[in-house]
Amino acid sequence: MQDKKAITVSGITKKFGTITAVDDVSFEVAEGEFFGFLGPNGAGKTTLIRMLTTLLKPTAGKAVVACCDVEKEPAAVRRGIGVVPQSMTSDLDLTGYENMDIYGRFYGIRSRERKERISYLLEMVGLTSRANDLVATYSGGMRRRLEIARVLVHKPEILFLDEPTIGLDPQSRRVVWGLLQKLMGDNSLTIFLTTHYMEEAEALCNRVVIIDSGKIIVLGTPEELKAQIPGNDIISLSVASLSENIIEKAKTLPFVHKVLAEDNAMRVYVDSGARNLPMLIDEVRSSGGTVLSATVHEQSLEDVFIHYTGKTIREEEAKKVSFFVGPGIPQKLGR
Amino acid sequence: MIRLFAVIERDLKKFRRNPVVLAMSILMPIIYLVILGNSFQGKLQALPVVIVNQDAGPSARQLIDNLRAIEAGPKTFKLLSRKDQDEAVGGVKDGVYKAALIIPSDFSRRVFTKARPEVGLFLDNVDAISSENIRNIVKSAVRSLDSDYVAIRENTGEVLLRDIDLFGKVDYYQSLVPGVVIMAIFLGTLTTGAFNLVMDRFLGMDESYLLTPLSKSHIVGGLIISGLTITTLIAVFIFIVSMLITGIPFSRALHQWASIFIVIILTTLCLLSLMFVILGRVGHPRIVGILSGFLNVILFFPSGAVYPIASFPGWLKTFAKVNPEAYAVDALKSILFKNATIPVISGDIIFLLCFTGLMMTLAILSFKRTL
Repeated sequence: MQDKKAITVSGITKKFGTITAVDDVSFEVAEGEFFGFLGPNGAGKTTLIRMLTTLLKPTAGKAVVACCDVEKEPAAVRRGIGVVPQSMTSDLDLTGYENMDIYGRFYGIRSRERKERISYLLEMVGLTSRANDLVATYSGGMRRRLEIARVLVHKPEILFLDEPTIGLDPQSRRVVWGLLQKLMGDNSLTIFLTTHYMEEAEALCNRVVIIDSGKIIVLGTPEELKAQIPGNDIISLSVASLSENIIEKAKTLPFVHKVLAEDNAMRVYVDSGARNLPMLIDEVRSSGGTVLSATVHEQSLEDVFIHYTGKTIREEEAKKVSFFVGPGIPQKLGR
Repeated sequence: MIRLFAVIERDLKKFRRNPVVLAMSILMPIIYLVILGNSFQGKLQALPVVIVNQDAGPSARQLIDNLRAIEAGPKTFKLLSRKDQDEAVGGVKDGVYKAALIIPSDFSRRVFTKARPEVGLFLDNVDAISSENIRNIVKSAVRSLDSDYVAIRENTGEVLLRDIDLFGKVDYYQSLVPGVVIMAIFLGTLTTGAFNLVMDRFLGMDESYLLTPLSKSHIVGGLIISGLTITTLIAVFIFIVSMLITGIPFSRALHQWASIFIVIILTTLCLLSLMFVILGRVGHPRIVGILSGFLNVILFFPSGAVYPIASFPGWLKTFAKVNPEAYAVDALKSILFKNATIPVISGDIIFLLCFTGLMMTLAILSFKRTL
């Protein structure tokens, strides 16, 4: 990994009225790095990406992207980056080729270079045979692939992807992953990805940040993060009449590191899960609980995620609906 | 039954939660009533009529007094007087006056001697409704002057009103052509330009080009030029078809075709940039739908395309003074039916240019380059 920084963010903050969507976030991304931003819905991922890509002005703080300050030189930043926004933005009324061609002209790329680049990229994303079909006839996965190819037309230094596989079927998701991995191998492209799919971050990213309620909770390689949580394995138990007593008793077992409980479910962070499972079940039984089901699984980034962000669904701030125009217009809060 | 009610309830709820639609569906008929009512049945008022009186005699004075009474009473005219006959007739040709009444120097003498007195009335017959009104009122004013003498000897003493239509005959359908073209331009500008921006925003596609190095003026300018191309083609097509249908002659000088084209382009630019100012930040096509009806009513009907502006009440006349469609209609009518040259319609063109410039500046200023 090179020392040169592709992205330097210091104390960036975005407020929408009283809501703080991104709260004093600082981090650095090295050139050529695949950097992931993980977080639940409403954590501030999209707001952050929009600030880094000049679409939103930060309330406070500073961000340098592709060697330029996002607030002072937005045009220069835009020339150096390629962004795949969360929503599908390829033009339905145009063919795949036309989408890419017009986009390339937005960057002032000459005709011959454009042609070569587009056919190379279409080949790469496997859309050559459909290049002259209207995008309206594409599936979600095809549109996403086209959009990834489209933002590469001008050879950006940094690629931003905002939840690129959201709403895609597992096959398409894997195709997109394969594409991104290929991109990483190809050149010194820096990739910044936000996602709430753990396996996505685990499969792709060199380093991962977990963000929740606008704040960075933890940053490191997937391995570092997994090593940070106690216990190697997790036993999930479903217990009828789960009580405080059962949880306290379980915590006293020597191989148990941590217990999370919610309703009738327990997540127990343990060493050697498979071997210690019977002992844990015995302990629960003797404390008056009835084990309905039990599973043992190895730590994944998902567990890291749950470990740091908790299991409850976020109470998201209600989106604003204008009284005057009604809900007909979605008020963009940038998240 | 439960299913039917569910469909009904869903629809009613949607309606209630969109106050703009609700308010507009109540306001629109009222706006229609106020604007349409006032721009159609209104009495013609303050039509500028110029009198060139070359006669110092009593009959001329009496005729003018008769007309003054109408000016003071029903206020149909605004009378002005000029010395120079050519200047007065020229003024009618250029659209400054609606009519010029020429009282020759021997008028009173001829009335007195009953030697077939005559007055000349030069009419701007392109505005058929106004000119017909003026013709009738002047005719009756002349008759009432005459009545003292009719009893004595028939005919020879009767004042002859020579009314001269300054322009070739324009029938009602032909007079609607400029309005039809302006309507085509309006609809064209509504469905191109800023509307595409609204649709992109609605579908979330604006994000993709806001992320590129395109500047504000690239985006606004590009959309305006593409809208201009489409709308101009539509307008020219509609123009030619309606000329064919109504039988307006095609044989005209090249400079006239050029001025027609200039007026169409300018009007399109004007309305496109106006739409950008109005729709620049709108994010839902529903709002465009509501505004289109509203804008059409307030721009088209008070433009003089169907009924002369002179018949409007004061407030609507004032509005017509800042309504770009009124200037466009006037320019097209002048070229089509009065064979006007560029200098004659320069006022209209200057207004359209200034309006476009102002709106274009506002459009670029108000357009947000960020989300």
